[in-house]
Amino acid sequence: MVAEGLKKRFGDFEALVGVDFVVPEGALVALLGPNGAGKTTTIRILTTLLRADAGRATVSGFDVATQPQLVRAAIGLTGQYAAVDEDLTGRENLVLVGRLCRMSKRAAQERAAVLLEVFQLVDAADRRLRTYSGGMRRRLDLAGSLMFAPEVLFLDEPTTGLDPRSRLDLWDVIVELKDAGTTIVLTTQYLEEADQLADTISVIDEGRIIAEGTADELKDRIGGDVLDLRVHDRAQLDLAVTTLTREFGASESDVTVDRDLGTVVVPIAQGSDSLVTAIRMLDGAGIGIDDLSLRRPSLDDVFLHLTGHAAETRVGAKKRRARIPAGGG
Amino acid sequence: MTTLAPERVGTPARRAALPPARVIADIALLAQRNLIKSVRMPMYIVFSTIQPFMQLVLFVFVFGSIADIGPGMSYRNYVVPAVLVQTMTFAGMGSGVGIARDLDTGMIDRFRSLPIARSAFLVGRTSSDSLRLGVQATLLVVAAMLMGFRFGNGALPAFGMFVIVVMFGLALTTFSAWMGLTVRDPETVQAAMFIPVIPLVFTSSAFAPISRLPGWMQPFAEWSPVTAAIDSARGLALGDEVLYQVNQVHLHTALWHFLLWWVVIVVVFTALAVRRYRLGS
Repeated sequence: MVAEGLKKRFGDFEALVGVDFVVPEGALVALLGPNGAGKTTTIRILTTLLRADAGRATVSGFDVATQPQLVRAAIGLTGQYAAVDEDLTGRENLVLVGRLCRMSKRAAQERAAVLLEVFQLVDAADRRLRTYSGGMRRRLDLAGSLMFAPEVLFLDEPTTGLDPRSRLDLWDVIVELKDAGTTIVLTTQYLEEADQLADTISVIDEGRIIAEGTADELKDRIGGDVLDLRVHDRAQLDLAVTTLTREFGASESDVTVDRDLGTVVVPIAQGSDSLVTAIRMLDGAGIGIDDLSLRRPSLDDVFLHLTGHAAETRVGAKKRRARIPAGGG
Repeated sequence: MTTLAPERVGTPARRAALPPARVIADIALLAQRNLIKSVRMPMYIVFSTIQPFMQLVLFVFVFGSIADIGPGMSYRNYVVPAVLVQTMTFAGMGSGVGIARDLDTGMIDRFRSLPIARSAFLVGRTSSDSLRLGVQATLLVVAAMLMGFRFGNGALPAFGMFVIVVMFGLALTTFSAWMGLTVRDPETVQAAMFIPVIPLVFTSSAFAPISRLPGWMQPFAEWSPVTAAIDSARGLALGDEVLYQVNQVHLHTALWHFLLWWVVIVVVFTALAVRRYRLGS
């Protein structure tokens, strides 16, 4: 899948300023960005639902503008909102999609039965969707995109609005699909999701791709590790920032300060002894520490570093902390 | 978890091909989906059938008791074809609401991302709606006959009236589909469609002969597609002579007007609706 210079404007709003990215066959690429960054617009163009104003894209070797019918025959799409029919049963929904994709009635029924089992919907298979939970609808929607085992699967924020349990279940399915060789384009505003699932991540913001690479490569952009500090007394926050930037030679612009939480995040080049150095410096300056840790940068840090603003939604980002008991001041 | 291995079903090229048989099959599948949905909303069917019954009672018995449209014809016989056409008009408007709901729930995006004919969604919708209209028209004709309405022109023309009435509803369905795709919000679609449709229905020969309407209204009424449909239905149900006697128009003129209007409405709004559907949002 290749996208080159995709542009789209809605009235005065430039949704896409120029989106380029490549998804190798069998890879899982995450398009990561906050709300309104252009993720859904990109997906809609790639799945032929929307025409780009400029640029070109091919999916599975077919041009989205000139061969849309072939593109549709090669892809599966699971949108941001589960596109399933409320008045039909789970099974009927799947069979309908299968038959619209040229499967015989029998083949569609057989495939639907397999997918209902895979997605743990067997008990609810013959109930109307009105009775389904949000997580069940998403699973059914995803099952619908898999009726004919598409060559490229587009997942537009597949886990938005799901409870943590359903999210993890869906991740398992996505990993399994990827392992089975399906090329997957996944959009997400959850940094953790991209980190966990994707081979490579394209960070999108304000209608353009601003960074690309594996999660580790993106983290390396920050260079080294990150020092995470929460001060005891917020009044000492500025003093802490000055002390740490001076000691570690970081520029003010690289430092992230959250005044409400009383936290400072400082990128540092050196290794583990910097933790000791930091404690000594802070203690020497008479700054009380609530929490201090040294860790690999998270994608949160990367996003902040790249865009100057935080990704809007964060869900329980797992931080691999090298935590030490905070010394009192 | 069992395997999700990509056991591919056919090639993209094979799935993408659209021979006529395939297009028809897709239309049938989508029409079937709409019908299943209708059948599963029994209250909707009950209410949407009771409403025209009440109109029939209102016009036949209440207005029928004071209206006098001249010798040789009861107001009951005059007004039944009009109530039929009016019912089809309002019922046809339901299409747009259904389509707006499909937009709202993402079903249209789902269908647009599948390798099916671009026209299948809309044609499927109008097909299933025509069937729904046919059922409703049948029920209404039976009710009218129980209230004393009589066909005076033989069985074949009576069937012709039935066809005209459903055809008119189908034309409204295409207009309604375009409105649904344009306005996009189910509630707004319903309200928006009343604006052009209500005056069109009442500014016609529906409830009073055109000669009795105020002078300024008469030219509108004479050229109205609703007049053409109702007079065609009347002529077929009651005979050309009766039609001419009350409305000073011959059946062949009314039919000719009707067919012209029908083609224009169906072609224009189908084209507009398909264009909307293709473009997406």
